[in-house]
Amino acid sequence: MVLQSSLKSCLQLSCILKTPKAGFRSTMSGGLIIQSISNDIYQNLAVEDWIHDHMNLENGQVLFLWRNSPAVVIGRHQNPWQECNLRLMRQKNIKLARRRSGGGTVYHDLGNINLTFFTARKKYERMENLKLVVKALKALSPQLDVHVTDRYDILLDGQYKISGTAAKLGRMTAYHHCTLLCNADKFVLSSVLRSPYKGIKSNATPSVPASVKNLFEEDPSLTCEMLLDAIAEEYATQHQIDHHITLVNPADETVLPGISNKTEELQAWEWVYGKTPKFSVSTCLNMVYKDSVIDVKVDLDVKHGRIEVCNIDLPEQWLPPALCSELVDSFTGSKFCPNEITTLATTLLRVCPQDDEMHSRWNLLCENMTRLM
Amino acid sequence: MAWRALRRVGPVLAPRCPRLSPPLRVPAARRLVTSSLVLSARKFTDKHEWVSVENGIGTVGISNFAQEALGDVVYCSLPEIGTKLNKHDEFGALESVKAASELYSPLSGEVTDVNTALADNPGLVNKSCYQDGWLIKMTVENPADLDELMNEDAYEKYIKSIED
Repeated sequence: MVLQSSLKSCLQLSCILKTPKAGFRSTMSGGLIIQSISNDIYQNLAVEDWIHDHMNLENGQVLFLWRNSPAVVIGRHQNPWQECNLRLMRQKNIKLARRRSGGGTVYHDLGNINLTFFTARKKYERMENLKLVVKALKALSPQLDVHVTDRYDILLDGQYKISGTAAKLGRMTAYHHCTLLCNADKFVLSSVLRSPYKGIKSNATPSVPASVKNLFEEDPSLTCEMLLDAIAEEYATQHQIDHHITLVNPADETVLPGISNKTEELQAWEWVYGKTPKFSVSTCLNMVYKDSVIDVKVDLDVKHGRIEVCNIDLPEQWLPPALCSELVDSFTGSKFCPNEITTLATTLLRVCPQDDEMHSRWNLLCENMTRLM
Repeated sequence: MAWRALRRVGPVLAPRCPRLSPPLRVPAARRLVTSSLVLSARKFTDKHEWVSVENGIGTVGISNFAQEALGDVVYCSLPEIGTKLNKHDEFGALESVKAASELYSPLSGEVTDVNTALADNPGLVNKSCYQDGWLIKMTVENPADLDELMNEDAYEKYIKSIED
């Protein structure tokens, strides 16, 4: 243990600081720079939660550096169906996560850097943090035309967004995190951040779309590691702390006791989808069946991610009314989730009389319903 | 603005008590008026929530200082009716300018009502933080909780101290 007891009580992150680094002890007080060794979005968000909940930052601050494998991250009060293409994300195995901070939806992959600035709530100052990032960028690459907007975005060449911001203010501690686009997959980014779902009505906070650009398009000599180092160095200089970056493993319960519960919570359906502000879907399914188009009006109310009210208006005789109402009954109360709907529909179908024509109509309807999700 | 309006309430109402006419009824009247005055006055937490209690139900909102500091509120996340809260429990969050600010209960009790108008019009928190922009109503499990909160004057001094 290389820590002074005063520092231990200040940062309460004693175990993390086992790194036997010369000079660590004397220069640590006041600040800490850590970097995650994980690329898992849920684990990294859990580190943020852990620091927010467990560290006393009355006399200190923390910079947390992290990167994720492909993921879409929505703001705390957003509706994922409004913000992104969940079907495409499932196909491409891109995770969906909900942050605890506000703000809009972003796409992460290893070509994107995330920075979290933790302070005492009363020292929360987003503009200062973003200016620090800009200063670090200019130190690396002086010709870059980058500046901070009053919406707390960082723009490249006066028009392309390279960084977005969000924040959470807790009782004692606050954090501000921002992204930095280095060489993210812009094709995937723009395709997953386009919602295909129609007819959603909601009070959820909408994202403000922006044209984006990768920093490396402007300066191909840069690397993510160079940027992380430059930002850490600038942070260390401004806060007069050691430049050393401490690596942290978000799966290590001995360092971060209780973190697996936090990771699980962030990964749970109840948080990711269930926290969606109440919304309704009102749409018309145009189902193609044997060379004709069947119009089906669908109205759904979804609360806590579950279908609260369900109305399916089918043309008469297309499905037996009793069967249709049974379908509506079983959908009501279920998760607004394609797997759940498919399972319910398949289970119901099993107890129905064998009739190929009816079965294919039923499947067509259910398949179309899942396309809403 | 709201500060000045509020400050006037005290002096205007308080002197009324001793002037109530028949001497015999004074103690009862004084007790009545005094208690309702004390109970309906707004009390503040150091996290800038306010609560005012009437007929055993506390109405909770955020202070003018807090709404100004937050900027335009775009979403109010509030608890379900029936949620049991302990003093200092997180009961929701307000989102403004990309930041989610946690809300903390000033009292222990059960949520009896939430301001549904905020779903369509979260900006009420900015426009009318002490009236139409209230957040929740709750029972008062432990009336002594109120004694630990700041009154108008103390809160105003507190704000001055953190602004300096």
